[in-house]
Amino acid sequence: MMASGVGEQAHGSVASQFYSNEEETAFDMTTSEKVVELLNQAALISTEEKLIVLKQVQELIINKDPSLLDNFLDEIIAFQTDKSIEVRKFVIGFIEEACKRDNELLLRLIANLNMLMRDESVNVVKKAILTLTQLYKVALQWLVRIKSVSDMQEACWDMMTQIKEDVLALLDSDNDGVRTHAIKFTESLIITLSPRTPDSDTPKKQEGDISLDKIPKDHTYIRYDTLCEEGKSALEQLLKFMVHPAISSINLTTALGSLATLARQRPMFMSEVVQAYETLHANLPPTLAKSQVSSVRKNLKLHLVSVLKHPSSVDFQGQISTLLLDLGMSQSEITRCTPATVQPRKRLHHEPYVEGKRIKMAEDDEDKEEPAPVVTPKPSSSVGTQSAIDLTAEFLLPLLTPDNVANLVLISMVYLPEVMPASFQATYTPVESAGTDAQIKHLARLMATQMTGAGLGPGLELCKARDEEVKEEDGGAGESSSKDPLIIRKLSAVSLGQAISVVGAPAAYKSPITEEAPQIKKLPEPILPTSQAPGASGRKKVFKLADVVQPFSEAQIEKLSNMAIKRILLSEKVIAQSGMSHVRVKLLARLVTQFEGGKKNDLLQFILEDMRGRSELAFSLLYHEYNEYLSQQPSGSLDSYEHCLYTLLSGLQEKPEQRDGLFTKLVLEAPVITDSALEVIQRYCEDESRVYLGMSTLKELILKRPSRQYQYLNVLLNLSSHEKEKVRSTALSFIKRMYEKEHLKDCIEKFALTYMQFMVYVLIFVASPWTEETVRQCLYLYLSLLPLNHRLVHELAAVYTEAIADIKRSVLRVIEQPIRGMGMSSPDLLLLVENCPKGAETLVTRCLHILTDKVPPSPELVERVRDLYHKRVPDVRFLIPVINGLEKNEVIQALPKLIKLNPIVVKEVFNRLLGTQHSEGSSSMSPLTPGELLIALHNIDSSKCDMKSIIKATNLCFGEKNVYTSEVLAVVMQQLMEQTPLPILLMRTVIQSLTMYPRLAGFVMNILARLILKQVWKYPKVWEGFVKCCQRTKPQSYNVLLQLPPPQLASVFERCPEMREPLLQHVHSFTPHQQAHIPASIMAVLEANSRKPEPEPQPELHHPEIIEEREVPVPKHISMPAPVSQAEPPAPTPVEFTEPPPAQQQQIPRREEVEEPMEPVQELTNDFNLQQVEVTEEASQSNSISEKTDEPMEESAARPVDVADQPKEESEDVLPEAGESSVD
Amino acid sequence: MIINSDARACSWTDARSRSAAAARGCSRSLGKRGFDVRSFGTGTHVKLPGPAPDKPNIYDFKTTYEQMYNDLVRKDKELYTQNGILHMLDRNKRIKTRPERFQSCKEQFDLVITCEERVYDQVLEDLNSREQESLQPVHVINVDIQDNHEEATLGAFLICELCQCIQHTDDMENEMDELLQEFEEKSQRPFLHTVCFY
Repeated sequence: MMASGVGEQAHGSVASQFYSNEEETAFDMTTSEKVVELLNQAALISTEEKLIVLKQVQELIINKDPSLLDNFLDEIIAFQTDKSIEVRKFVIGFIEEACKRDNELLLRLIANLNMLMRDESVNVVKKAILTLTQLYKVALQWLVRIKSVSDMQEACWDMMTQIKEDVLALLDSDNDGVRTHAIKFTESLIITLSPRTPDSDTPKKQEGDISLDKIPKDHTYIRYDTLCEEGKSALEQLLKFMVHPAISSINLTTALGSLATLARQRPMFMSEVVQAYETLHANLPPTLAKSQVSSVRKNLKLHLVSVLKHPSSVDFQGQISTLLLDLGMSQSEITRCTPATVQPRKRLHHEPYVEGKRIKMAEDDEDKEEPAPVVTPKPSSSVGTQSAIDLTAEFLLPLLTPDNVANLVLISMVYLPEVMPASFQATYTPVESAGTDAQIKHLARLMATQMTGAGLGPGLELCKARDEEVKEEDGGAGESSSKDPLIIRKLSAVSLGQAISVVGAPAAYKSPITEEAPQIKKLPEPILPTSQAPGASGRKKVFKLADVVQPFSEAQIEKLSNMAIKRILLSEKVIAQSGMSHVRVKLLARLVTQFEGGKKNDLLQFILEDMRGRSELAFSLLYHEYNEYLSQQPSGSLDSYEHCLYTLLSGLQEKPEQRDGLFTKLVLEAPVITDSALEVIQRYCEDESRVYLGMSTLKELILKRPSRQYQYLNVLLNLSSHEKEKVRSTALSFIKRMYEKEHLKDCIEKFALTYMQFMVYVLIFVASPWTEETVRQCLYLYLSLLPLNHRLVHELAAVYTEAIADIKRSVLRVIEQPIRGMGMSSPDLLLLVENCPKGAETLVTRCLHILTDKVPPSPELVERVRDLYHKRVPDVRFLIPVINGLEKNEVIQALPKLIKLNPIVVKEVFNRLLGTQHSEGSSSMSPLTPGELLIALHNIDSSKCDMKSIIKATNLCFGEKNVYTSEVLAVVMQQLMEQTPLPILLMRTVIQSLTMYPRLAGFVMNILARLILKQVWKYPKVWEGFVKCCQRTKPQSYNVLLQLPPPQLASVFERCPEMREPLLQHVHSFTPHQQAHIPASIMAVLEANSRKPEPEPQPELHHPEIIEEREVPVPKHISMPAPVSQAEPPAPTPVEFTEPPPAQQQQIPRREEVEEPMEPVQELTNDFNLQQVEVTEEASQSNSISEKTDEPMEESAARPVDVADQPKEESEDVLPEAGESSVD
Repeated sequence: MIINSDARACSWTDARSRSAAAARGCSRSLGKRGFDVRSFGTGTHVKLPGPAPDKPNIYDFKTTYEQMYNDLVRKDKELYTQNGILHMLDRNKRIKTRPERFQSCKEQFDLVITCEERVYDQVLEDLNSREQESLQPVHVINVDIQDNHEEATLGAFLICELCQCIQHTDDMENEMDELLQEFEEKSQRPFLHTVCFY
């Protein structure tokens, strides 16, 4: 019973299929179970293992237990859509083995083979061609065996014929390998579709193969004549293919081999073959390279020898020998290869093919009369072509007189190519026997071959005419030779019947074929036992419900079917108890898919009521819908399937509680995701509580459904700018992971960039102003990709330059995180800095700031910025972030520009330089020590920067009290004091330091004393400060004042008359011995004023000297004495320098004065800036003092003589003068 | 070839000493790079260098490497250690027991590379004399390598590179022609190339 169930009813009704399945598994548990297990494994493992497993399955079901073959066929065929080429090739191999084992399977598998023939991989196509070569013979043999051919079998053969034509068409394929395979197929086809003769040299293994002579002429469907014609046409195609001028060397080699095989296996084609060889030899394709020519010639030789060895070559020995001689074979070798031919030669010579054929037929015990009419035209036509060359050669022979030949040579000289073609070079052998008859014959033949090849010559015309005659005869003979009109009638009746059946039942036999392939296609996952039911379509056809209920009216049918389905629906529990629920599921799905509308909705509703429990039904329904769609290809619509999928998915989406991943499963296992389904998925992803699950589903889709992955990816990408933060961030994190996949990278990048470009291009369309939020939306994706692919930063720069100011500001705010993520070692960031597109300067600066915010700049970064600054954009602001990476002199050079910037910026610069901004440790990176910085400020050329900025900058320094300690300031003062000329601000700094650190007083005294040695009075500004300083440090400064030369002392008293009296008293308090050391001139100045208030005579004395020095270049005179007098005593620390106690005591009551820190500073500020508007409040306080002190100081210090004349001008001139001196 | 799929493999055929060494060296390095490589002789005998060029040691294909090894040790251990033959045999015997003859091998290959035209001819003759069955194509390439040390080394590299290039092609059959032309030009030596069918 089982056997009959499988054999006859292989595609029987649903019920019988199930029963047979059941029984079989029960009957043969072990093998079958093992196969199931292996197949389940195969679905999950890697390609290599999969192949091993599948081969095991093949062994089990083809060799061990062929009864299982039918059972598992679909499961194996399902692998034909596997991603791996090797697995698909395995499937082809399996088809071959299966069909060889059970020819009936051709009915089901031929369509699959047809599908695989169109595979995208050439390797699969090649394998399919190889298999087809075998199966064509198998199919033919099988059908010939069957006397009455069924519709299905007819359709199968039709398809085989169609595929055969397709393969022949592949001779024109673009792919060399495919062409090679097509040639071999053609070879095999020609052999199959031509009769085997006694002289056929058939390989042992192919002894049993079918050939034309075994085809009965009375077969109901296979037409002998048609096959014969097809064979001939295949040979023609092959020959035509061979003379293509651009044929590849491998194709040519293959074709040469095929021809040799043909000649040996079907000697009736010997003449065509030899002629083709001749033609080729004389016309090697010009496209061949030199080495290819030698390869081809080697092959030609090899094949010619093999043809020559065949006894039937006897008639062509002359031509073959000539060719072989030309190919460089020695006569003796040729002779060795020539068969000992005396007898066969004669026999064959006398017996035309027809007779040989007849004998053969007699031997084969086949129909004796039939072949004759078929074979006769063949020799005649071959003789025809044969003699075309012969005739032309004969025609040419007498014309080849020396004169004619000489003319020919001369004429053809003109047409010779510039370079000797490789083929000529390879083939050329010196003509040994020029002028002999043999050689002239050979030449005539060569020319004849060429001419015939080109379609010229009298021989060809003659032959054409003859061929036509023969054809006409053939036609006539065909009609008349059909001696038995009955047979004709019978045949035509049969064919008529076929025609009727074709018209009458196209669906009956066509659909299984067309359905076959799609049906398998829909089963990509054979793990699901319910969905893998084989032969679904077959059964569907047999289950003709419509037939049974025909008598009912439409309404009745509707009602009954509804009720039936409802009963099945409601029987859920009962059936589940009986363990047959899978049958119910299958039944429901299959039934419902066949009806429109209501029932489907009912079923879907039913499923959705308990989705988890009824998921199996859901899947089954879905698959059936899809199958239905496939079976209606190409006109089928996906609507019904789409509706089903959409309803299920949205049902799941709308249900609040779904934790078991059913949604994911449904999405991933659906054969096709339609647009509406994709919308549901998107909605699912937008649901904050399910966003993760939704997106991981989407991710799976993207990764596992490559055909539409970009569409899925797009959904995910769109979500990356979603307004819900959670949706967005999840999407971004998924995209980031996808971004690592090479093939998705581009797409993601493009999307991100497009979005970013919205900022620029969509501007025109966006009515509402850009908010930070909208800018962020455009940048979310981009910014999260940026740390993964630094190259993208350039795109941002490009967009940035074109964006409006609002957008720019937003961009600058949002890039902090990603830029920091990239780090300053990123080559692309460095490149960006280096290139700094025009308009992106602010962006670059922002990046620089972000990068150097927490860490010191790297040398590479500094290098780029420096370059940028020097070569392209000389904006000093670029330097700020990397200022600590610059060289000392660079910083000093940039200082004038830096301190002119906005006060906040200047503050930042100083913070960086002084290390007051970074965390500990990084301050050591500063190229300038605080002291050096302050000194550098003093040395700024006042032509490059106004004094006010410099003073503000020094004030910033003084503001950092914990950086500028008394020690630092002492060192600064010391160094400044040693400079020549003295910096203008020297005394200002001294006073300020003193104000900050009163204990420096002793040190300052030392400074003052040394300044006297440096003739401080020659620098008006400094001198002014000097006096002021002395005034401030009154008791201690007496000793210093006493060291002044008399005129200068007088000048001091001029400025501060109140100093004189105390100083004098101070001197008087000396011991006599000490007093003796005071020069008389000094004493004179001290006392003079008490007697004569006018100090003029003395200054006059000195006056000329000073004038002189002012006119002569100043520096030389000044610098001369400086080093000499400054044999430096070890710089005394300020503490040691505390003066004798009385002085200190005197100082105390004066504290009040000293402790007004801003006063002196402010005064100086006023001086230098000459009534600038920005005078601070303190200035007004000290105004009274400064105004008083100002003028006298100026006058006495600078030009005592001129004072009376123009005091106001003088004060205005101070600055330029000071500037000049400081330049030096 | 090599790009091991089903019965795909690369086969060496060579019987000459130096180029054989080259072939072996080459096949070793190819093997290391994931090629499925086999090497064969095509002659009737296995010839190993002897004490003089005209006195080679001759064995038939039945002799195992082990036997050859022992024989040579017995004959002149020092000489054969010095010229590396013993080392080579020692290595070979760990790979397979005895040398194989191409003509006796029934496995199917994708690519056969020979190092001498004579061997190429033998291979072609053998392949063409076999009965065609599966029609699976096998490409045969000859790269002439002169029988001296330098040539052998150069040739080995050339072949190795060629194989790698072939391995990297997506579609060997379609790209082979061009590839060979390129190599021909680069190496300035002619290649013979043909296709046979199993």
